[in-house]
Amino acid sequence: MSDSHPDNTPQPRAHQPSVAPGQVDRMLRRRFLQIGGAGFLGLTLPRLLRAEGASAGSGPAKSVIFLYQFGGPSHLDTFDMKPDAAEGIRGPLSSIPSVVPGMPVCEHLPEMAKVMDKVTLIRSMHHTMKNHNSASYYALTGHAPPVDDIRLRDSDELFPAYGSIVDRFSPNTDGMPTFVAYPHVIRDGAITPGQRATFLGKAHDPLLVTEDPNDPNFALPELSLPDTLDVGRLQNRRALQQIVNQQARLLDYSATARGIDAYYEKALSMLNSKRVRDAFDLSAEPDSVRDRYGRSEYGQSCLLARRLVESGVRFVNVYFSSSIGGQSKTSGGWDTHGFNNTRMYPIIKARHLPITDQTLPTLLNDLDERGLLDETLVVWMGEFGRTPKINANISRDHWPQCYTVLLAGGGVKRGFAYGESDRNGTYPAVDMVRPDDLAATMFSLLGIDPETEIRDPLDRPFPIAAGRPVTGVFA
Amino acid sequence: MPRNDPTFDVTPQRLCDMFPPSASRAVSHVPFLLAVLAILCAPTPVTAGGRPVSFRTDVMAVLSTAGCNQGTCHGNANGKGGFKLSLRGDDPDFDFTALARDLSARRVNPAQPADSLLLLKPTMQLAHEGGRRFEFDSLEYRILRDWIAGGMRDDRDTAPSVTSLQVTPQELIVNGIDEPVPLRVEATFSDGSTRDVTSLAVFEPSEPIVDINRDGIVSAERYGEVTIAVRYLNQRFPVRLAYIPDRPDYVWEGPDERNEVDRLVFARLKSLKITPSPVCDDTVFVRRAYLDLLGHPPTGEEARRFVEDPSPSKRAALVEELLQRPGFAEFQAIRWADLLRIEEKTLDRKGVENFHGWVRQQMARNRPMDEFARELIAARGSTYASPPANYYRAMRDPLMRAESTAQVFLGLRLQCAKCHNHPFDRWTQDDYYGWASVFAGVDYKILENRRRDRNDKHEFVGEQIVWIDPARRVKDPRTGKDAPARFLDEAPLADGEDPLLALADWVTRPDNPYFARLMVNRVWHQLFGRGLVQPIDDFRMTNPPVHPELLDWLAEDFVANGYDLRHTIRTIMNSAVYQLSSEPNDTNAGDETHASRAVVRRLDAEQLLDAIAQAIGAPVEFNGYPPGTRATQIAGVHAIRPRYKRPTPGDEFLMLFGKPPRLQSCDCERSNEPTLAQTFELISGPMVDRLLTRPDNTLGRWLSDGRGNEEIVRDLYWTVLSRPPSKMEEDAALGYLQQSDNRRAACEDLLWSLLNAAEFSLRR
Repeated sequence: MSDSHPDNTPQPRAHQPSVAPGQVDRMLRRRFLQIGGAGFLGLTLPRLLRAEGASAGSGPAKSVIFLYQFGGPSHLDTFDMKPDAAEGIRGPLSSIPSVVPGMPVCEHLPEMAKVMDKVTLIRSMHHTMKNHNSASYYALTGHAPPVDDIRLRDSDELFPAYGSIVDRFSPNTDGMPTFVAYPHVIRDGAITPGQRATFLGKAHDPLLVTEDPNDPNFALPELSLPDTLDVGRLQNRRALQQIVNQQARLLDYSATARGIDAYYEKALSMLNSKRVRDAFDLSAEPDSVRDRYGRSEYGQSCLLARRLVESGVRFVNVYFSSSIGGQSKTSGGWDTHGFNNTRMYPIIKARHLPITDQTLPTLLNDLDERGLLDETLVVWMGEFGRTPKINANISRDHWPQCYTVLLAGGGVKRGFAYGESDRNGTYPAVDMVRPDDLAATMFSLLGIDPETEIRDPLDRPFPIAAGRPVTGVFA
Repeated sequence: MPRNDPTFDVTPQRLCDMFPPSASRAVSHVPFLLAVLAILCAPTPVTAGGRPVSFRTDVMAVLSTAGCNQGTCHGNANGKGGFKLSLRGDDPDFDFTALARDLSARRVNPAQPADSLLLLKPTMQLAHEGGRRFEFDSLEYRILRDWIAGGMRDDRDTAPSVTSLQVTPQELIVNGIDEPVPLRVEATFSDGSTRDVTSLAVFEPSEPIVDINRDGIVSAERYGEVTIAVRYLNQRFPVRLAYIPDRPDYVWEGPDERNEVDRLVFARLKSLKITPSPVCDDTVFVRRAYLDLLGHPPTGEEARRFVEDPSPSKRAALVEELLQRPGFAEFQAIRWADLLRIEEKTLDRKGVENFHGWVRQQMARNRPMDEFARELIAARGSTYASPPANYYRAMRDPLMRAESTAQVFLGLRLQCAKCHNHPFDRWTQDDYYGWASVFAGVDYKILENRRRDRNDKHEFVGEQIVWIDPARRVKDPRTGKDAPARFLDEAPLADGEDPLLALADWVTRPDNPYFARLMVNRVWHQLFGRGLVQPIDDFRMTNPPVHPELLDWLAEDFVANGYDLRHTIRTIMNSAVYQLSSEPNDTNAGDETHASRAVVRRLDAEQLLDAIAQAIGAPVEFNGYPPGTRATQIAGVHAIRPRYKRPTPGDEFLMLFGKPPRLQSCDCERSNEPTLAQTFELISGPMVDRLLTRPDNTLGRWLSDGRGNEEIVRDLYWTVLSRPPSKMEEDAALGYLQQSDNRRAACEDLLWSLLNAAEFSLRR
């Protein structure tokens, strides 16, 4: 490195081999072969793409399917029935016994009643965030928001989604994505925080799919090429790109350049890979299976979740709806206040309960029959429960002080209820659990130490979960 | 001797010493009758040195050296296992109560000291989740045992406080990693005494390349540089060690020094036995200069003209020319818009345009940076008519204003001190709330608010008047009383004084140790991709600058030249150091901090998108902006919020590639981190594909011009990469074009490959 170049025009590069035109052709072809041959992801994924300090999780749960019930389902009308409470509390719906003695469910969940022996209920969930966005952030990250703000802003100072933590500390190294979220970005007025990696960095954001899995043309957009482009042309482009990169030698000495190049390699491999494409290919499922899950966006989303965990995805966020909803029998989430002369019970009887009763038992049975339930933790929860006292609209309002979360598989007990709510489902009576504890529980089941430290944008250390694992639910 | 003498004799504490140390915190003393009784009955214990064991200076130190009071252990806000200590020994009164009084003192047993939980647990004689913290009969053990045996006295009123620490060596360059380095820590106390407290000090390295034992012996595991934060009680001292490979044959070889920047940097490189990379060639320089000053690369024409210009002074001339272009002010305005939270939801569309326009104008007019800062800090009035008032419109509460102003104009992150004294610097909660009180008087007269979402308290549409009530203060949550307003050097705000005018004076005083250093640190970061203090807004005693003399010199030069941003940029860009190639040699391959070569980094989102649009010769659309607007000219974040209109592919590209939403006053909010999703956008996303296939783009024009393949290949290289193709590249490209049966498609493929080349998206 002795000769310094003062201001001058570029020197001809001494080490340049001269190439005859025919050779170029052969060179290009050789490169195409290399790309084609590297087709399967695991072979080409460089160490660089893996998170530093990754510890392969060795908990009972290999994957989590997080079914987010946006809007806030009523605990008193689903899994924490209070048949003996006053009429203004218990509501118009009756309970029916389930296969587990002492664990009745709503009369409109008869299929759920048959699979309660596969689940753990936590009936003593508690927090104090009354707004959808702040409560949802809490539910999706396990960290209490700084303020209970109806339009809590989605800033990088907030904590990352569970799946992003998993992607940071226990990522897939076989080429499948670690964290997939779909079929919406949820929002209540503004984007609901808690759906992405925030200060962990964009590399840990979910693979986000905002397409409807119930659409006959559903496919992963990343794996679809513009009309003018085919894989052959793409490979030509990559080969030409590599020739340029070879000249500038940046890849020889810049880790950043190598990192970006590794992403090209990975992206092209994904485009070539059958495995990723197959995981998202719902048409490979028999019609009978698709029917069983329900021909709805949510039903097919749950089927997709099963395919994804089957192919190794570690964390799947399925959002029941894009909005809090509550005033429609055909769309939206669980936020049934009875506003604008709507009423809660006709709506949940027509939409939310039937969809839940068709999809959730199907998913649990399907996972169980395939031997996947023991290694897949299914979490069914919303941001809060609903007021024990029926309101003037014969509906229920927000109630974070007490609600129920349903867990299944992945190392939790079967046919078990943890914690209890009081007589009217107003407050936890025993064994209160906060979202912080639920977060610690999920991470523990995934084999990730809940005390693992992350640093926020100010470099302040925090544990990934601020609570303690609820060991009482462990199988 | 394998070790060099330190070749730089800075005082790392200097920055912090420019403000006098804080007064000790006033915390009410609660007398404990039982403790007094215990003192009266107990024999006086002694340490190994013959001195009585002191709760304040010995026991408190042990709680830190043993790690008991770390954030992950009992220092946690919720404690651990029902036992809570103050974080890092922040609050000795609290800790005394926790140890000697809580739960009727079941943690300590003065009758049978050895049976105290405080000794049984950390020695693992009883199960302890935190593991073994020290050995039976170790120094830690004996201090705690003697303190318990002596009746658990709190010597609050008699113990001297520690006033300073001195650690030797304070800086050292070490050849090789075999030789251990002993650190010696000496404390000076308020009674004038000094004592070796090495075994009672905590050593925290910034990089995991060294191991430091309880006796302060440092062993390196690999080469590199490390700052060791040494802490004893509430005093800190940073020690900097550099472990370099022994290079007996090292001879300095480097470009001639052109200015003081070179002199200072090269002196440091010599001491580290690092050879800088050579000065880069013209094709690299021209691209670098355009990207750094204007935010986009040169056109093919501009690049060629510069490279072919025979003038020996053409680099300096180019820097001068670019500094005067409007693009310079636009690109600078982006950085400030990020920090000043210029976004539409809170400022509204008109506010964003006015505020951004004002910032850009200040940059274009070369407004001295102290005046620029004064206008923002002391701003008030209509957010439409007096644009700097938007600085406060964006920050609706005093704590946010206090934290952000410290970060944006002083490079201090005070946030830690909100809940407890800063664990890595000297800022106390008194400092925090006193500083916050300065900002308490800002209020708003909301003339109208035509917001679309009535639930959204962050949204404002309409004019506001920012006004100041000088009498207001924030409540200190610890006392429930107003915190007296004061600056960070503890100078109080006079009653009736306009707090923001006084603050503006205080921040921009020439002897303020932070403001000018932060400003030049930001410039260094813009030009080198890394600050001399890094993170750039985290000036902290335990985070010293990588080259203190250089930072000092740049700051002094900046002040002496009237806080002239262009002056500092020009000075740096005309140095040989700035112009070094990014290609490493054997001695500097591992160096990314000392500017011995350019560090390769990804372009900002706006730079990349403008570069793509310019290279393809087709405009990108942004919601709410006229066609032809460049990404670097966008005033805010979303002129039309995504909720109301789907973002264009251009808008989405910017977010995907890390343009910040501007919700934080931190440079860290902008991300240049590559991701897989970005790569998919370039490979199969709609943005690039639509531009590439537009019939009227550069390729379309050239093809209809009748340009031949050779011309097209050469022009593409100049246009996209600012350089000619090598022979091999030319042959490959021509071969590809010739063998294709669709010439247009083949040209698109070639153009794509250049746009996706590493040297296109990376600044080198």
